[in-house]
Amino acid sequence: MADIRLDGIGKRFPNGFWAVRDLSLTIDEAELLVLVGPSGCGKTTALRMVAGLEDISAGDLYIGGRRVNDVLERDRDIAMVFQNYALYPHMTVAQNIAFSLRLSKRPRKEIRERVEETARLLGLEELLDRRPKQLSGGQKQRVAMGRAIIRKPQVFLMDEPLSNLDAQLRVHMRGEIEALQKRLGVTTVYVTHDQVEAMTMGDRVAVLRAGELQQVDTPTNVYDRPVNLFVAGFIGSPPMNLARGTVERGEEGVLVRLGSATLPVPAEIARVRGLDAWIGRETIVGIRPENLQGPSADGRPAGGFQLPATIDRVEALGSSLLAFFTLDAPPATSAAIAEATGGGLQEVALITREGTPFCATFEPRSAVRVGDRVDVSLDTHRLHFFDPESESALGT
Amino acid sequence: MSTASATVEPRVRRPRRRRATGAQVLKYAALLFAALVVLLPVYVLLVASFKTGAEAEPSRAWALPDVWSLDAWRQAWNGEQYGLLPFLENSFKLVIPATLISTFLGSLNGFVLSRWRFPGADLVFLFLLFGMFIPYQAVMIPLTQIFIDVDFPEGIPRLVFAHIVYGIPITTLIFRSYYATIPEDLIEAARMDRAGMLRTYWSVVLPVSAPAFVVTAIWQFTSIWNDFLFAVFIVDDPEQWPVTVALNNTTGSFVTPYNVQMAAALIASLPTLVVYILLGRYFMRGLMAGALKG
Amino acid sequence: MTKIRRWGPGLLLVSPSIFLVAVFVYGLIGWNVKVSFSDWRQAQETSGFDTSAYAELFPADTGEVGEFAGAVVTGDQPESLSTDPAWIIDLHHALLFTLVFVLGALLMGAVLAFLLDKGVKGEGFFRAVYLFPMAVSFIAAGVVWRWLMNPAPGNRSTGFNLLFDKLGLDFLRNEWYLGTDWGAAALAIPAVWALSGYIMALYLAGFRGVPEELREAARMDGASEWRVYRHVVFPHLRPVTLSALIILGHISIKVFDLIVAIGGKQLITQTPAVYMWILIYDARDYAKGAAIATLLLVGISVLVVPYLLYTVRSERRV
Repeated sequence: MADIRLDGIGKRFPNGFWAVRDLSLTIDEAELLVLVGPSGCGKTTALRMVAGLEDISAGDLYIGGRRVNDVLERDRDIAMVFQNYALYPHMTVAQNIAFSLRLSKRPRKEIRERVEETARLLGLEELLDRRPKQLSGGQKQRVAMGRAIIRKPQVFLMDEPLSNLDAQLRVHMRGEIEALQKRLGVTTVYVTHDQVEAMTMGDRVAVLRAGELQQVDTPTNVYDRPVNLFVAGFIGSPPMNLARGTVERGEEGVLVRLGSATLPVPAEIARVRGLDAWIGRETIVGIRPENLQGPSADGRPAGGFQLPATIDRVEALGSSLLAFFTLDAPPATSAAIAEATGGGLQEVALITREGTPFCATFEPRSAVRVGDRVDVSLDTHRLHFFDPESESALGT
Repeated sequence: MSTASATVEPRVRRPRRRRATGAQVLKYAALLFAALVVLLPVYVLLVASFKTGAEAEPSRAWALPDVWSLDAWRQAWNGEQYGLLPFLENSFKLVIPATLISTFLGSLNGFVLSRWRFPGADLVFLFLLFGMFIPYQAVMIPLTQIFIDVDFPEGIPRLVFAHIVYGIPITTLIFRSYYATIPEDLIEAARMDRAGMLRTYWSVVLPVSAPAFVVTAIWQFTSIWNDFLFAVFIVDDPEQWPVTVALNNTTGSFVTPYNVQMAAALIASLPTLVVYILLGRYFMRGLMAGALKG
Repeated sequence: MTKIRRWGPGLLLVSPSIFLVAVFVYGLIGWNVKVSFSDWRQAQETSGFDTSAYAELFPADTGEVGEFAGAVVTGDQPESLSTDPAWIIDLHHALLFTLVFVLGALLMGAVLAFLLDKGVKGEGFFRAVYLFPMAVSFIAAGVVWRWLMNPAPGNRSTGFNLLFDKLGLDFLRNEWYLGTDWGAAALAIPAVWALSGYIMALYLAGFRGVPEELREAARMDGASEWRVYRHVVFPHLRPVTLSALIILGHISIKVFDLIVAIGGKQLITQTPAVYMWILIYDARDYAKGAAIATLLLVGISVLVVPYLLYTVRSERRV
């Protein structure tokens, strides 16, 4: 088992493009760290540098305390699970798994035992004589894992192993992979673009954007205390609601004006966020959908600030219900948000009407309909504030 | 593992189900006419080859034989004067080693240049590829001189060597195109499994190379068997001539009765025609690989 | 450096091929060029630098260029021109042959592909028939074509001439490859026969490479079938045509087997490639043979090198 330390790691491609910039990160022994970010953010490149499949252009990489920049991939004692599984098509499952051991010239008996042991671990016993083309996606994925596990390496690297599976299977496999990793206790770096995977699987999550590390912390911290607009918009589904608001001084404390509504900011928040310095200035205000609640089944509003809303759209998902309305505050447009959220909502808003589309959660069986006017309860203790220029969270 | 996308034959679309319109009829007529024109020489060859010497007279050229005879065939096969048999043997002795070796070389080159690259690999590829386009006449003289200087075994061995060397461009081309369709992550997985270059070639790449081997081997077989230029420059000794040169000499002389000439042409073409009929699909893929480079 | 450890073996593995090609292609070409600039005109090798071989192949000065060009185009050489008459005739033949061959094969291949594009019953059969000439050696083909195009008159006529007679089409009789004016064009006929199947295959792949959705979208937009071809399909075929032109062009410059098989060493069917062979083997005029070879090479390079560079560059972009 080994820890991994990236120290100012960077990757420059021949055309001058820096896919990864100054990435510094430590992954502790036996930790499962998830590298997450949108396509093109450099997460796979970073992973491949750890693997040794890409040369490192800048910085130092240490595995188990040893500097491995110039060590070939085969000598790093790392196993990798590829996005498209990369199973050897002409070999059986057993041969695929055993391949690396055969190369190390282990005795046949030992190989057979270890293959069987690995197969049992992954539920592949029945499939050992099949060829990859006879396997389903989930089965192929497990074979790919078996191939990695059998080597008992110091480090596992996984490159979006679940992205080619159906949604249901993905949910199932997430748990399996996590359990396996805990059981084997191997240091693991897991790359994904799916923030749900990141949140559920990682001991810690590292958010990347355009080659740069945005934040690395436990899932809960990344969720509750995003360090900038990008992380705020990227983590959490449905994404955080964001709009421009002006900080004002009120009689009893700090207020923030969002469109026609003026919200009192709890003193604690105002202090931590240093809002005094922002009086009279415009910030970007964020509130997650689950902190914007519709009235409960018996009509009683939840606590918090009551925000009047006219419902534009309803999405009933069965387990939850999302209601969309337009807040008459100016939208927080920025490249970061667009990239984080996929840009959709913002663009639609600009076409339909003035204001910012906001998303609130209602009781799953609520009878709310398009056109209804309701009061949505905003939990002001969950307000986020960001600097419109630097895009960082205030007070950080 | 499906066949290389670079060498796949055009997929056949089912013909639209509609009644034969005038346009369809015209189309068929044109296609049939073209087919007839293309097959015309074959008709002539076959018809002439089955005629006896007596019937082999210019004015009867287009008519079917009155008497079907294998006499011309016998003469062209192992007749004392015109028999091609010893030359067929020479051709086989040439084609088989040359095809095997040049194909194998192409496979190794194609693998390295597409999946185990080094800086400048593309330049090296271009460097090799250009060799396919040179007029071979330009190098035949110095080539034979080199053979003489190093005392290379005369006759067929020299020809084998020449075909191996000048076959490098096309065989490398075909394999490189084919191997480009092997997913890179397969090679990376092998590397992560601690396989080195040769190991990766042997255990991961070679087992899935069958289609490319077939295509290349067939293409090389046909090209080398049909070659005339190299043979006529490199092989001095008439006893070592491959069948193309022998054919040219047999049929070039005006003394040879033309039924024998035709039979000889057919015999000389038999192996490649058989290959074409049985394995035409692969033949065409080799053909396309050479052109789809462009 | 670990990087070398990684790709070193690869370089090592292809190095024999690099060496062989370097010597036997580039090295020998270099030798060839050197000889072409020597005075090695007879069996005795000498080593002086001499451009006499080239002098016989090129117009003497800029004044003669026009006459030279005219002679090549028409095949008639004015007395005043100092270049080798055989060479002029060869170039003339090559020009004629190339025009007829390239255009003929291109057209026939394209038409056949066009007819087959939508799929016909027995397409497999037709394709196999059109392609089979590629499996046959030029020599063997030459045997039959020489006979088919035999110009013997009267009751000794055979081949096409005989056929025309029998079909009542005597006006089509002609001298074929032995004709002074169009002989070289006649030689192009077997070449077209041999290669149009290949061109057809190229175009067919090109046609079929057009995504069906594109055609359907055009049809939905109201385009007639012909318009669909003209505006959707044909533009897609430009790279194919370019490919085909390069391939046909370079074959045309190099063609040797076919000419020899049909016309032997006669002047009336001679092309530069054949002339080179004669000079080296019969006349032992090595410098001149090498000069012709060099010129052939230059001709091909002009055609092929830009094309190769272009394709590799576009490959990298993809």
